[in-house]
Amino acid sequence: MVDQNVILIAYIMPVVFGVLMMTKAGDAVATSLTGRYPLLIHARRRHMLGLNIVAFTGFVVSTHTLWITNKISEGGNICSSATVFSCDDVLGNAQYNVDPFFGISWGLIGMVVFAALLFITNAVGKEPDALWAESYLRYGMYMTAAGLPVIALLVSYEVRMEKICQFCTMAHIANVVGLFGFWKAGRMHDEGGWNDDVPESSTSNTSTS
Amino acid sequence: MKTNTEADVRSDTAIRVMAIFFAAIMFLAFTTDPIRTGTNEGDRAPPLTGMAYNGSVWTNFDINDYFDTNWTAGDLDGQWLLVDFMDTDCPFCIRSAEEVGQNADYFMKLQGDWQGPIVNFVASATELDIPGHETSRAEIEAFRDKSGEESCAGNSCATRDGSSHGFVYIDDIDQDNMKAWKVPGTPSYFLIQPDGIVAWVSSENTDEEVSDAIFRLTMGA
Repeated sequence: MVDQNVILIAYIMPVVFGVLMMTKAGDAVATSLTGRYPLLIHARRRHMLGLNIVAFTGFVVSTHTLWITNKISEGGNICSSATVFSCDDVLGNAQYNVDPFFGISWGLIGMVVFAALLFITNAVGKEPDALWAESYLRYGMYMTAAGLPVIALLVSYEVRMEKICQFCTMAHIANVVGLFGFWKAGRMHDEGGWNDDVPESSTSNTSTS
Repeated sequence: MKTNTEADVRSDTAIRVMAIFFAAIMFLAFTTDPIRTGTNEGDRAPPLTGMAYNGSVWTNFDINDYFDTNWTAGDLDGQWLLVDFMDTDCPFCIRSAEEVGQNADYFMKLQGDWQGPIVNFVASATELDIPGHETSRAEIEAFRDKSGEESCAGNSCATRDGSSHGFVYIDDIDQDNMKAWKVPGTPSYFLIQPDGIVAWVSSENTDEEVSDAIFRLTMGA
């Protein structure tokens, strides 16, 4: 079986790339990619690409945690460890691996939430000027913000168990990055950075050349 | 300029995201076969942890230490587990203590000529919310060892029927384990397969004795 830490790195990379696309730090990366993907010259397109990647990574990692939960229930050992990083101990704990109200697996809840976020990011990415786009971005921000107390609850479980589930933490990070992404998208909308106009610097460069 | 493009993009996107979600669910359905955690027959036994008294000292107990997830039905090398939820002040538990002790000695192969797989016994001693059922670790020790000055249901624990028990007693005075296992009353017995699956529950089989269930299930498995 593939080392679970290798899989973890495979999740970290797209999230980091997503963050880069959403921040100033990624401008240089985006510029280097514009030769192949000219549309990335627009800040809004870069931003929505990053947000899409983060939401999709959150969805995949949530699916993975549900898969691990199911495998553990079959009696398998997926990522058990004597160290503090042992997702088997966290995801296999029947007391904490489901929500306290309906008994639904946290992994499934994560899948539903990130699928909803993926819908928002995709829809807004395709129709950024639609009448509903601004509202959808707000809904995305509210959803990811509502995830914060849930993350706090799940982290409190980990503290109680004295174990950390790496994949769960990855999903939590994707949610926090998503919150940042939706917040920043809202600001771009408000501050006029939302259109496809070619940036001034690029225009001047083009006219000069 | 804002334009009203309404449903088209959202419909396309919704279908696409639902397709991805459905694909993920199909992947889970084809690659996993989850077993519910619970205390019904066929469920995976919930956690059972705490400090346990083995006759000399109190040590950490974790039910998972008893399980072998690679066990297959028919393998006589696998060790089964009988969990006895009891209260040291419960008259029914005191009356059944002698029989439980005899069964434990026999099926744990401490006495007799049991030919089947070893069945380990574990007692989880709780404190029911009934006046007069106040207990303590000293009382649990006294009940197990038939010793000391402690009182069990109004009589000296040392005078209960049967001999001292040769299996561990878990401190569940806070009822954590009892609640997690949804124990309806004491005594309650759960027979667990070596792979951690609940094979028999006394509350679902009121007409069958513990020993009969062990004979039927361990030899037939």
